[in-house]
Amino acid sequence: MSENLLEIKNIDVTFKTRHGILKAIDNLSLSVNKGEILGLVGESGAGKSMTGAAILGLIDPPGRLSSGQIWYKGQRIDQAPETIRGHEISMIFQDPLVSLNPLRRIGDQLVETILTHMPITKYEAIERARKGLEEVGIDPERINAYPHTFSGGMRQRVVIALALAPEPALIIADEPTTALDVSVQAQILDLLKRLCRERGTSIILVTHDMGVIAETTDRVGVLYAGRLAEIGDTRDILTNPKHPYTKGLVASTPRIDASSFDKTLYQISGSMPKLDAMPCGCAFHPRCEFVLDKCRSDIPSIIANRAACWLLDKEESLL
Amino acid sequence: MLIIILRRLGQSILVLFLVALISFLIFRFVGNPVDNLMGQEATLAQRAALEEALGLNDALYKQYFDFVWRAIHFDFGNSYRGALPVAELIASRLPATLELALTSALFAMVFGVITGIYTAIKRGGFIANLILSTSLIGVSLPTFLIGVLLIWLFAVELRWLPSFGRGEVVTLGWWTTGFLTVSGLKSLILPSITLGLYQLTLIMRLTRSEMLEVLRQDYVRFAKALGLSNRQVHFNHALPNTLVPVITIAGLQLGSIVAFAIITESVFQWPGVGLLFINAVYFVDIPVMSAYLLLVGVLFVFINLLVDLLYLAIDPRLRDSQLNGEG
Repeated sequence: MSENLLEIKNIDVTFKTRHGILKAIDNLSLSVNKGEILGLVGESGAGKSMTGAAILGLIDPPGRLSSGQIWYKGQRIDQAPETIRGHEISMIFQDPLVSLNPLRRIGDQLVETILTHMPITKYEAIERARKGLEEVGIDPERINAYPHTFSGGMRQRVVIALALAPEPALIIADEPTTALDVSVQAQILDLLKRLCRERGTSIILVTHDMGVIAETTDRVGVLYAGRLAEIGDTRDILTNPKHPYTKGLVASTPRIDASSFDKTLYQISGSMPKLDAMPCGCAFHPRCEFVLDKCRSDIPSIIANRAACWLLDKEESLL
Repeated sequence: MLIIILRRLGQSILVLFLVALISFLIFRFVGNPVDNLMGQEATLAQRAALEEALGLNDALYKQYFDFVWRAIHFDFGNSYRGALPVAELIASRLPATLELALTSALFAMVFGVITGIYTAIKRGGFIANLILSTSLIGVSLPTFLIGVLLIWLFAVELRWLPSFGRGEVVTLGWWTTGFLTVSGLKSLILPSITLGLYQLTLIMRLTRSEMLEVLRQDYVRFAKALGLSNRQVHFNHALPNTLVPVITIAGLQLGSIVAFAIITESVFQWPGVGLLFINAVYFVDIPVMSAYLLLVGVLFVFINLLVDLLYLAIDPRLRDSQLNGEG
């Protein structure tokens, strides 16, 4: 597709440990279109955050991107990710309480970021910083305040202002609302969504919350044990999930409506395999209700541009 | 800000009263000063007269307040040896010790922080590992041995630097300085290295571990994600956060540098208060000893106060919590 902003091709992220080499991300491919919001959902340790870190080259050693390619605007970036950080792709982290340098005024941090990427004077940078704060709903008069004088939600607003300041085309938001009060979560998500839509900025939204996915994203990728289980338009995935794991995820999300009021919430039995004890074949097969013989021996790849599941293969061949 | 300083000052004064109490008690109870002053030939009447003159018959609290009152006026009595006023003795020796301590503290701080940062940033690199393993020597060798080794190499074998004394000094008022003459500066080198080496390795290791810790923090990753250069990330974001604990330790170490100076001053025959103290111990010269104790106490308290204020200057969070009276 010509619209592709970012394309991840068959990447592996591996960790060298005493117990051998562990794969945190296994042969992952996905793409982000211009202006879209792509959700990445999965359990803890499924590789969601690691994918974001891999794009920006922020994987901490001993982990590393051991194979595959990452392309951005037609250029390969996985070998020099520092060249695109900030002004092309920037990132928002989970916990706003520790995302800002506690010893420096928020204005200093904004101006520093702006001046790093733009050939403008300090005075202009300060003006931009004030405007940036205003856009995220923070009184620009507080430009000289220190991070500890803000609440968590306000700090995340400052973080958003910082991430947007260099005018990136893509923002990776790694669970941007997980650490916040429920009442603030929606505000922050709306703000992020609105500002990005205005600018045509794409977002990769990493979350474990299907509710957030439903409200915010255009497309969603479901990750399981470092592999992509299913990907597609958010509406399709939520209404007609193909992969048994996605089905489980959707079914286990609480709804507030009369029909489901006194039903017990669905639960996927078992738990995700540890990286050093991955089963053969499909990683989900020990928990899958529809397991086939083939699932135990062969790893499925994405079938019909949708899900990595042998069931789809069966469906296709029946057609 | 002024309120914080005043509050800290009040605490410091309380601590100083306690230090004064200890050095007073030493003066009063370690041996009988009358014995020390008069010797065995004195008659009972002479002894009684001296006891009265020294105020030893007064109530203890009165003696203590007398002691403090005189100490505030820099009157520590006369040295038993040579009968010179202790205050004069110490004042004439103090510049030597302070110059030595300051030089070695500066040496330790500058090189400690630089090598600490380097070994943290270039973690696992060849030179970083080399520095780290060499630093083990600094930690494990005793001060006097380092001093003797340095003397042997640079004074005896190579004959580059003098092995003892301060060299030529210039008198500025009551202060004598070795900073202004070539021989004075040359004489400073070996003792400063000897005195500072342990602190240097300590500060280096502390800086390194703090820096590694800070580099793992989210705000450092965020700064990287925003496209700031390594230089900006390391020096604008990581370094200030690293320095907060380093300054505390380094400040406290400055106090112990003055205390440790006793050994270095002995090895290099450095004419400072440390050497004065060692000699006072040989001759049970109690006024000198108690004045030295008080001096070191004052120094520690003063440095602590300075460190606290530096802390407040660096960390805005502390500043606010102190003003709100939580501190």
